[in-house]
Amino acid sequence: MLRRTIRERREYLYRKNLEAKERVLYDKKRKIREAITEERPIPTELRNEEAELRKEIDLEDEQTAVPRTHEDDEYANASEKDPKILLTTSRGPSQPLTQFAKELKLIFPNSQRMNRGSQVISEIIEAARKSDFTDVILVHEHRGKPDGLVVCHLPFGPTAYFGLSNVVTRHDIKDKKAIGKVSEVYPHLVLHNFSTKLGQRTANILKHLFPVPKPDSRRILSFVNQSDYIVFRHHVYQQQGGPGSIELKEVGPRFDLLLYKIKLGTHDQSEAQDEWVLRPYMNSTRKRRYLAD
Amino acid sequence: MAPNPSPVGGVLEPLPPAMEALERLRTAAPPYYLTPSPDLARLAREASTHLFSSLLPFCTNPLPLDRLLADESFDAEQIWHQIEVQSRPLLPVLRRDLRRFEKMAPEELLGVKVPQEDGRGGKEEKDLEAEDMEDPGEEEEILEDEQAEGGERNVRRGGGASDSLLEGNESDYSEDGRDDEDKDEDEDEDEDEDEDEDEDEYLIEHEYDPQGDGRENEDPDSGLFAKYDDFFGDKNKKSSQPGDKKKKWRSSNKLEQSDEEKESPGDTDIDDRQADDAELDSQDDETLSTFERQSRKLKSEIEQMEKENLAPKTWAMLGEVSAAKRPKNSALEVDLDFEHNRGPPPIITEESTDIIEDIILKRIREGHFDDVQRAPSLPSKAPKELKELDDNKSKKGLAEIYEEEYAQTTGLASAPLSSSDELKKEAGALFKRLCLKLDALSHFHFAPKPVIEDLSIQANIPALAMEEVAPLAISDAAMLAPEEIFSGKGDVKEEAELTQADRKRRRAKKKRKFKAEEAQKTAKKARGNKNLDRPNVSGLGNHALYVDEERSLFRLDW
Repeated sequence: MLRRTIRERREYLYRKNLEAKERVLYDKKRKIREAITEERPIPTELRNEEAELRKEIDLEDEQTAVPRTHEDDEYANASEKDPKILLTTSRGPSQPLTQFAKELKLIFPNSQRMNRGSQVISEIIEAARKSDFTDVILVHEHRGKPDGLVVCHLPFGPTAYFGLSNVVTRHDIKDKKAIGKVSEVYPHLVLHNFSTKLGQRTANILKHLFPVPKPDSRRILSFVNQSDYIVFRHHVYQQQGGPGSIELKEVGPRFDLLLYKIKLGTHDQSEAQDEWVLRPYMNSTRKRRYLAD
Repeated sequence: MAPNPSPVGGVLEPLPPAMEALERLRTAAPPYYLTPSPDLARLAREASTHLFSSLLPFCTNPLPLDRLLADESFDAEQIWHQIEVQSRPLLPVLRRDLRRFEKMAPEELLGVKVPQEDGRGGKEEKDLEAEDMEDPGEEEEILEDEQAEGGERNVRRGGGASDSLLEGNESDYSEDGRDDEDKDEDEDEDEDEDEDEDEDEYLIEHEYDPQGDGRENEDPDSGLFAKYDDFFGDKNKKSSQPGDKKKKWRSSNKLEQSDEEKESPGDTDIDDRQADDAELDSQDDETLSTFERQSRKLKSEIEQMEKENLAPKTWAMLGEVSAAKRPKNSALEVDLDFEHNRGPPPIITEESTDIIEDIILKRIREGHFDDVQRAPSLPSKAPKELKELDDNKSKKGLAEIYEEEYAQTTGLASAPLSSSDELKKEAGALFKRLCLKLDALSHFHFAPKPVIEDLSIQANIPALAMEEVAPLAISDAAMLAPEEIFSGKGDVKEEAELTQADRKRRRAKKKRKFKAEEAQKTAKKARGNKNLDRPNVSGLGNHALYVDEERSLFRLDW
């Protein structure tokens, strides 16, 4: 098992290195394809390789035409299998944090919550990998208020670090009858205003935490990006009366996520490369928005 | 000298020759001056000589000349220069005096108070007129106070600043210098000026004393040498009086007295400080000079700064300060200056919630969600070819069908080849080749090419093997039985391993063999070339003959 993991990881890194060359090849093929479709002469720098590339172009289909990146590799099998999530907290959680973790478990379908105890992170992740989990989610706190969320995709996948703010949990609302029970149907997702490349990447990471829903599911989880703060809402809707009237009922906790790091490795691999890191001490950060245009 | 002619007019007494010359010059009609006349020239020389010598006593500095050299041999220019040398230092002084006298009332000028009435009167007239004669008695008085005068003279000179500006400061400095050096020598020459100064000072005192104290100054000259401390340093000592504008003048009087007492400047300073605290409140700011005020402010600032430097630093100036090291709630009061580059997180209001819900509703209505899409799985098996059964009756008879089959198998008639069959064959062949390579890579032993089922090539395979499906992964070691590979006793030794006895044995065996053969040969020859039935092989058994295309090995039968 260990050798397999090592071999797979090495393959992954090797493929990542090849991406640059693949990219070059892809560009050349694209140019030839465009030249052919637009009936222009083929650019002179590609004349020598034109014949071989033409052959490859003819044999290509939609899947092979697009160059595969490491991101695709990470989520290659995600659409085939339903995600399996392991949810846990930091060490010594307070009661509000455990309540919040319980609520998160209800939000993510196919998730299991685990008591942290005194386990080491690397052990947790190793165990999760063996048991075929696809993601591990950690929740951190500060004096009772949940303030951090770590989403670690498993085989060697990316780890996304979020900061939480404006957390309102279901437990805060005292009236239990009014709240009712949480529906556990596979939800629809709304990911709004993730337009940059980084935004797309974040959206991808969040998206693959959830399984494929049924088309008529009435439960909606929304991640709305407003100036780099991702606002999370959990609604259930009803369509009483005509098609025009749709009633939204808010259910479940609400919080704001602020992405500050994406790492190309699991959470325990501290030496892994950072894909993107937020730099809040730069003077230009106050003007820049990273997840939207 | 002859007494002064009174300015009003009067009887003229007979003049001395010099004066007569002057008189004659004066009365000469103007047209006479137009033409050069030696007479007038002679008169002029005499007059100027006389004037020069008469003015000589008034000069404060020693002149290089003691008399005017105005003989016939001297040029007008030269005479004029000599006069210049004398008159130049004199003029400013005289002008000043003149101006002072102008201000005074005529009664005072002619008044009896001043002993040298005549001298003053003479000053009023022009320089060219006669000079004064003073009483010898008063000379001594003047001389006593000369030394004390020095400082106050400066003060007075300050008062006459306008004069000095006009005339340059040379005369002032020169006179001062003279005072310090040679006072004894120039007593006579100084006398007049001293008198005048005394008079002036006396006048000043009496004139500017509105209160009418009429306080007689015992030492009228002591005020000339006063310093700053005399004016302002002793104020703290003396009882302060209610502010009046003329206090300065009053204090100047006091200073003269204190000057006589000769206090050291050091004492005044110390006294100042000690008296400061006591007297400060009682004194108004008006009583302090500007300098005094400024210096007081500066001193207090300096004290403040020194105190700060000595005291321990405030917590905000120390490096890393934890909550224990600073006073309670002190971080709230201090303006901590660092930039927050992100800004505060957004506050959730009803409006923001409404905006979000609008977005969600819009998406629901459109039905446009960002769910995960199931990827279409790649087909692992080829799609089955469904053969359709033809319901129609076969056109060919059964006999004809058999006939065609027989023809195909014997090779008389080739099967109708369709294009798809051709392609299928080619594809099949390619695929087989590919699979062979892949399989060879993943199997442990190297597998050679499989045997092609062609009857033309002889293979030393037992018949059973031909019918069986030959396993692909087979090495040639599995083809033959061990006995077929090597039959014989074990214990085969190499050349190097043989002992001496073994070598002997082998040689003996070989010899026997050879002899036997030879014997047979001769017997054969004798019988005459019989056919050998069967090859006499010893040792190794039959070997297969097969051609391996790739390896091209031949193993022959013996």
